[in-house]
Amino acid sequence: MMEAKRVEIRSMDKHYGAFHAVKDLTLTVEPGEFLVLLGPSGCGKSTALRMIAGLEEITGGALILGGRDVTHVLPKYRDIAMVFQSYALYPHKTVAENIGFPLKIAGASVADQQAAVLDAATQVHLEQLLDRYPRELSGGQRQRVALARAIIRRPALFLMDEPLSNLDAKLRGAMRAELKRMQKDLGVTTIYVTHDQIEAMTLAHRVAIMRDGVLQQLGTPKEVYRDPANIFVAGFMGSPPMNFVTGTALRQAIRVGDHDVPLAGLSVRDGREISVGFRPEDAALCDPAEATLTAEVFIAEMTGDETLVTLVGPHEDHLIVRADPDLQIDDGERVGIRVDPDRRYYFDAETGARLRPDGTG
Amino acid sequence: MSLFTPRRIGQMSPGGSLITYLLLLAWAAFVIFPIYWLVITSFKSISDVNAGPVYLPFIDFQPSLHAWKDLLIEDWDDTRRAYVNSIIIALCSTGLSVLVGSMAAYALVRVTYAPRFSTILLFVLSLGGALAASLAYGVDWRLAGAVAVAIFVLAVRGLGNRFAATLGNGDILFWMISQRILAPVVVVVPIYMMFQSVGLLDTRTAIIVTYAVINLPIVVWLMFDFFNSIPRDLEESAQLDGATMFTVFREVVLPLSKPGLAATTLLVMILAWNEYLLALFLSTADAQTMPILVAAMNAGERGILWWTMSAVIVVMILPVLVLAIVLQRFISKGILVGAVKG
Repeated sequence: MMEAKRVEIRSMDKHYGAFHAVKDLTLTVEPGEFLVLLGPSGCGKSTALRMIAGLEEITGGALILGGRDVTHVLPKYRDIAMVFQSYALYPHKTVAENIGFPLKIAGASVADQQAAVLDAATQVHLEQLLDRYPRELSGGQRQRVALARAIIRRPALFLMDEPLSNLDAKLRGAMRAELKRMQKDLGVTTIYVTHDQIEAMTLAHRVAIMRDGVLQQLGTPKEVYRDPANIFVAGFMGSPPMNFVTGTALRQAIRVGDHDVPLAGLSVRDGREISVGFRPEDAALCDPAEATLTAEVFIAEMTGDETLVTLVGPHEDHLIVRADPDLQIDDGERVGIRVDPDRRYYFDAETGARLRPDGTG
Repeated sequence: MSLFTPRRIGQMSPGGSLITYLLLLAWAAFVIFPIYWLVITSFKSISDVNAGPVYLPFIDFQPSLHAWKDLLIEDWDDTRRAYVNSIIIALCSTGLSVLVGSMAAYALVRVTYAPRFSTILLFVLSLGGALAASLAYGVDWRLAGAVAVAIFVLAVRGLGNRFAATLGNGDILFWMISQRILAPVVVVVPIYMMFQSVGLLDTRTAIIVTYAVINLPIVVWLMFDFFNSIPRDLEESAQLDGATMFTVFREVVLPLSKPGLAATTLLVMILAWNEYLLALFLSTADAQTMPILVAAMNAGERGILWWTMSAVIVVMILPVLVLAIVLQRFISKGILVGAVKG
């Protein structure tokens, strides 16, 4: 196995005329790491990936790959393999020719090419389909061809642009596991772009969450889930997402409906708008008398191992609470929600910034 | 799902398929009849043509080889010369325009151009000034050209970023296609004078160059659409796999463009093969092409020579027929299936 490379992105910028697509992106991907760039569509994650690949010009900052400055190096000299969302298979070439294309370009001998193609194809279980054309393959098989073509060259860096998004849900789950295992076995540094936070959580060593071209937070899946840097990250991670209730601060509490939610340990000036966030699993339904909040049941959905109860909160907004699968509850019933005091997140409602107990309010 | 799925002929009731076949046969007869008429007319005697319609050889009339004898033996020199001219001119002009046009189309698809409006204007003005100076005022053209280049370069640098309005690839493409909007008859006299002044009248070179230029917009237009339909991902993927731009073109773009190239080549070649007006002006004897020869059958003292004309036309359509059959297998859809998406 070849030595894995470190990727350093230093203050990388992308301007398209007046549009600033990627703003001052700085992050380091450790050798052998699986880093996921996560964000909603249009957040600049794909642009960032294409800049690393060399398909988009880097208009500011620098890109260091394995100690070498490749900011203005052509894609073919960067030693990078990329799996496209569309797979980008050559329709006029067979599976074997598709997988072997990088070696053919590199001028490898026919015997070496054949051996490597068979080896790569075996890794993705395609050895029976080498003579087929892409049009004769299923979506999952095409995906595997694209993967095999990426791994055959043993590049310094893998880039993957939503490689699983064209597969159906069941296949996506299976391929996700295979992909993770393969990356682990090969040990190649990988940058993976997705808008699917489940994919990000399951695949990544670290997740970089982007919004409007700006890096919001970089951390392990657990960190970004348990300790979000701002209201955007908090709301983006998790399925179902985090609940938020907003109110005005008054005497170290915020008034939400009939209840005062205490601002534990936070010193906040009166009159400031504060959002309190909590995850569906950190809350429980209880008697209205001893509740943090009260709400009305909108609908309860039994998913098998749990029941997701959607409630209409004090500001007519929907709140979701995870409950026992055996829960019996009627639509329209008035219930209380008790939120674990240690699992409450406070945000400035205007800026979205996280307010921490020891921080300044 | 379409609302109405037509049944295949094999799945139809016997009556239905009978009607379908009869309709298809009638249509085929309608389409093929002119060609049939042409072929039998070339074998008719003069009196059979003049006496009125006869339809079936050996039944209606006795075939005669007199027209073919005229064409292939008595006027053999004229026929051969026009035929060779037509073939050489069609092949060369088509090759030239497809080569240059497809490269231009590929560049317009994959490279972003932003020529300054002011630069183009300055170029046209300096060129016009140089021409006017040398033609109207007798200034030595070398001097006028050098001064024009100097003025152009200085003015472009002097303007700097002051007039930033630019044209895009779409404007360039439209400008090229717009060259074809003008009726050729408008430019035929200037073209004639141009070749007269360089002494190339009545040469194949003149006609080849002219045809290549007038067909270039069509090639650019057709191939632009075709290259545009090739997913960019394929080319980017090849780039990342280590291919140079030329390798990408050879390994990915060219194989996928075969249907487009075949269709374009066929169309442009037929246009060049049939062209009449420009050939009429640019050739007098040596460079005469087949359409001119056919038209000449109409102009003799003996009236219209329907029989010989038919024979010439039969000979004339043969190569096009062969070409269409050869290229037909490339002009099939679906070559991009499986390239992208699931």
